[in-house]
Amino acid sequence: MSTVLSGTVTAPHVAELWKTRKDKTRFQWSSLALMTPAFGLLIVLFLIPMGYAVYLGLTNLTLVGPDAVKWGFTGTQNLIRLKTDTEFWGSLWVTGFFIAGSIVGVIIVGYCLASLLMRARPWLRVIVGGIVVVAWMMPAVTAGMTWYASTTGGGTFATMIGSPQTNFLDSQPLLIVTLANIWSMTGFAMLVMGAALRNIPSEAIEAAVVENASTWQRFRMIVLPLMRPTVIAVVLLVALLSLANFSLIYIMTQGGPGTATNILPLYSYQQAFSFNNLAYGALIGNVMVVIASIFGVLYVRVAGRS
Amino acid sequence: MTRRLDAVAGETLGPVSATQVTSQLPPENRATQRTMLRSVTINTVLGAIGLLFITPMLWLLLASVDSHASFGLAWPHFSLINFKHVLKGSLLHSLFNSVVLAVISTAIASVAGVFAAYSFSRRKFPLKGGLLLFILFSSGVPLTIMVIPVYEIFSRFGFLSLLPTAVFLSVTSLPFEVYLMKNFIDAVPIDLEEAARMERASTWQILRRVVVPLAMPGIAAAAIFGFVNAWGSFIVPLILISSNSQQPAPIALYTFLTLPKTEYGNMAAYSLVFCVPVFVLYAASSRLFREGFLLGGGVKG
Repeated sequence: MSTVLSGTVTAPHVAELWKTRKDKTRFQWSSLALMTPAFGLLIVLFLIPMGYAVYLGLTNLTLVGPDAVKWGFTGTQNLIRLKTDTEFWGSLWVTGFFIAGSIVGVIIVGYCLASLLMRARPWLRVIVGGIVVVAWMMPAVTAGMTWYASTTGGGTFATMIGSPQTNFLDSQPLLIVTLANIWSMTGFAMLVMGAALRNIPSEAIEAAVVENASTWQRFRMIVLPLMRPTVIAVVLLVALLSLANFSLIYIMTQGGPGTATNILPLYSYQQAFSFNNLAYGALIGNVMVVIASIFGVLYVRVAGRS
Repeated sequence: MTRRLDAVAGETLGPVSATQVTSQLPPENRATQRTMLRSVTINTVLGAIGLLFITPMLWLLLASVDSHASFGLAWPHFSLINFKHVLKGSLLHSLFNSVVLAVISTAIASVAGVFAAYSFSRRKFPLKGGLLLFILFSSGVPLTIMVIPVYEIFSRFGFLSLLPTAVFLSVTSLPFEVYLMKNFIDAVPIDLEEAARMERASTWQILRRVVVPLAMPGIAAAAIFGFVNAWGSFIVPLILISSNSQQPAPIALYTFLTLPKTEYGNMAAYSLVFCVPVFVLYAASSRLFREGFLLGGGVKG
């Protein structure tokens, strides 16, 4: 700008002219300064630890003892151990059940709530919607605490079915922690799917009504296709949040009884900090990173499109 | 409605089944009846789901004000003594630690986040698309699963304390905050910024005087997300904070379960106290979202 104004530019080279064009956004060095804090933090506390964990997983590092001081690379030793570790495969199965059960429950209950709330009496809508949202807002530690109290022997549910000594956390531990997880995530699904439902153009539904489509046909042909991206995004987020829901299960069962609710983050924690095998715990953590990355990439593909 | 239909049926037709009545009524009445039936069903089912959802909370609500609480469901001997018990000594100190942890973590994530969000929204730079996808990716992936390598790094540098933990917690909420704030800054009319640039405002001045005030609802919502995230975090302080006196409230809450004699009432009261800031902040943020996008009026003509 200044060169043009001062009139010193008589016949600039074409390339030079392009360089000084002011009508296009160009790279500004201040962008780098603005990005540095956020990306500095992400590099130091996310990418570097992630890379470091890959290495840690292939070492013999322990929390205490001689291998805590003098430790080193042990190659595929931990991988071989992982392959034959029945507790790990059991934990993977438990994690799978926990995630799949949570997804199914959250989507079904969340959709039903979202769709019922639209048609219900206003006062009921406020009360029920409020309860479900409060359950969602509750921090995982508190949710775990209140579910532990309600499902243990002598708790609310046992009292309600009339046999106070039934301990649901002993008899059906995996089912109960999955239900607790569904309970604590449904509010989120309800809000997101409710917003998506309200965005369905009423003309589309009215046209279907005019053409005598049944309720089921309207749901399958109009609501479902329009809701698809939202549902997929909710599924992936529930999967990711459930995968990492250490707090809820740790409070309720600590992975027990036995290994009945030992999802991967708990098993990783247990290996690293109860059995002192920091390296092996890190390796199990890496398995979680791989699983989370798959869900994460799918999520980016769904969410990035909209 | 059903009663009225029965009355009609009784007068004219004697005892007949509902379907017969329906088929003999004029079509608009039939439609009304169906709608009524449906409305009753909808409200009943919804009420039932609501009851199922509130059941696990009952213990929390009742035991917290019960001086003789247990895990059982009983009508409370009403008293506020539990709250008095938990709001002093080391339990109160843990709440204070939680506040420090959450405030520091929120401050770091919000400041770093607003800078990054602004450049994602307004600037052009190499790899922008890829970096934005990376932000979106890490906003979905729970970064707390990095806690073991971070523990190893922190223990090497002697960082196993409150402040470094707050920094790590800020990173776990940073990607989502950047993404959220970017969307809000996108909605700030660029004309306002150009007007400021005309008057030779620096980038810093534009950020402080134009972008931040106008995107404040979004920044506040992102900050609330960061605060709630750090406030509720359990595994991160459990692993990364070595000193007992620096442990935040979630760990204190957990220790209730490890006591030889369970203090049911105190446990419930402390849980509730711990929830209060979260509920207040969520309520505030939903209001922010509602007020969110009123920025169009800032540009005339």
